[in-house]
Amino acid sequence: MRNILAIARRELSAYFATPVGWLALSAFLLITGFFFTALVSLYSMQSAEQAFSPYGAPDMNLNEYLVAPFFGNTAIILLFIVPALTMRLFAEDRKTRALELLLTSPITTTEIVLGKFLGAMGFIAVMLACTLHYIGILFYLGDPDIGVVVSSYLAMFLLSGAFVSVGLVTSSFTENQVVSLVLGFVMLLLLWVLGWAEASTSGLAAEVIGFASLINRMEDLTKGLIHTRDVAYYLSFISFFLFATHQRVEAYRWS
Amino acid sequence: MIRVEHLTKRYGATTAIEDVSFEVPKGQVVGFLGPNGAGKSTTMRILTGSLGATEGRATVDGRDVFTDAREVKRRIGYLPEVPPLYPNMVVRDYVAFAGQLKGVKDPVAAAERAIARVGLSQVGHRIIEHLSKGYRQRVGLAQALVHDPEVLILDEPNSGLDPAQRVEIRDLLHDLVEDKRTIILSTHVLADIEAICRRVIIINKGRIVAEDDIERLGGEQRTVTVAVARPGDAAVAALRSVAGVSAVVDEGEGRLRLTTDGDRREHVANAAAPFGLLELSGRARLEEIYLRLTMGANP
Repeated sequence: MRNILAIARRELSAYFATPVGWLALSAFLLITGFFFTALVSLYSMQSAEQAFSPYGAPDMNLNEYLVAPFFGNTAIILLFIVPALTMRLFAEDRKTRALELLLTSPITTTEIVLGKFLGAMGFIAVMLACTLHYIGILFYLGDPDIGVVVSSYLAMFLLSGAFVSVGLVTSSFTENQVVSLVLGFVMLLLLWVLGWAEASTSGLAAEVIGFASLINRMEDLTKGLIHTRDVAYYLSFISFFLFATHQRVEAYRWS
Repeated sequence: MIRVEHLTKRYGATTAIEDVSFEVPKGQVVGFLGPNGAGKSTTMRILTGSLGATEGRATVDGRDVFTDAREVKRRIGYLPEVPPLYPNMVVRDYVAFAGQLKGVKDPVAAAERAIARVGLSQVGHRIIEHLSKGYRQRVGLAQALVHDPEVLILDEPNSGLDPAQRVEIRDLLHDLVEDKRTIILSTHVLADIEAICRRVIIINKGRIVAEDDIERLGGEQRTVTVAVARPGDAAVAALRSVAGVSAVVDEGEGRLRLTTDGDRREHVANAAAPFGLLELSGRARLEEIYLRLTMGANP
């Protein structure tokens, strides 16, 4: 555990030592801030319109109209930003030969992979923590459901974990960070749009696609429904890609 | 301390090293020589656990480098040809991080000791990518020393350095030798090997071609080159008649290359003097043996 944390700390501090980390954080906050402002404006406008409705003011649910779309947009922003965060994890170490320090130290490949995974997740935790003030504003002005907020953050964290695990494996296959970025993004996009294909298929294919889709699992979570099967799905997904990364790193010793 | 038995590494159809065997006793400093691509780095990487072997066995302090890798890695400090540095890190943090990975109890204190040992105290607060190549090489050495290993494996620690930096690193290696560690040192600077190591292992085309004390290596045969003002058959005959000279080759422009049995430079100088001796040079002993054993390895 000590080794995992040492590697995770180094990876986390590396994000703050390079422009990539700050750029990713700034871009993430800028875009989520834009969406939050737009959603709040839209919600206020619609609420005002509904209030003057001759048929009476219907209940505009804050969770449904604001919290869920906000996290839906955040998920898409993460889809674009996470590959930029993970692209360097192994690719840069291989290029600078720093990986040799890890491979010749008395630590296991599992510790290396988990350390890098946790380092990236630590940075994403910082990114997500920076969005808490938006939720604070909602609590100040309205009455969002705390359960929905908590499960939405859980969804973001699990989804980010899935994205990071895919980014790790693509980074382990190349020394070129740009190749790693493109590969990671393409893989994530494919897994993302897989859910859309469900509608145009039927039978077993639809079931398999529905099961594999990253988005389908997120919907319930952003509504405040935490199902064990959804959490297990993300954890299995992450474990699978971390295992693939582990195998790839082990293969360095034979190439 | 280090025992390598019949080690072979193949990459598909390419054989990097074949049937490599040698031993390095505890506390000995050994020079590992060979042309580029001869298999030095491959052997070193296998010993340090960053590369697997196709066949064979290697042990460090009786522990197998493949099955007991963790324990072996604790005992080895390794500086690869390209130092494994994180350019964005501060020197002190990087060496402490290496200490943590290597299981040092107090990585910060160990990093300070290693930094002081390699003369980096003044730049300990600086970011690695802002350092000169010589300093970066020292940072690499500091990470190899941070856990105070019994064995040091150094792969061309002075490659790509300017003459002043090379002297600095050589002095540093001299100091390390005094620590009584077991050291395998690979370098193309044969003068450094002669100055630092008592024993050498020479590898060529993936195979060990010589392994002995420098003094005993290659028998007594040496090469002496003389330049005379009046060359000709008489000069060649006079030099050939010197006791211990086994061959004289006229290389043209007054230069004659002699093969001698032992150091015969004084007698050769006396014999060449009547023909107007302009220059007499004997190749460094190790260089001569190295070239003889690896000749043809490089175009």
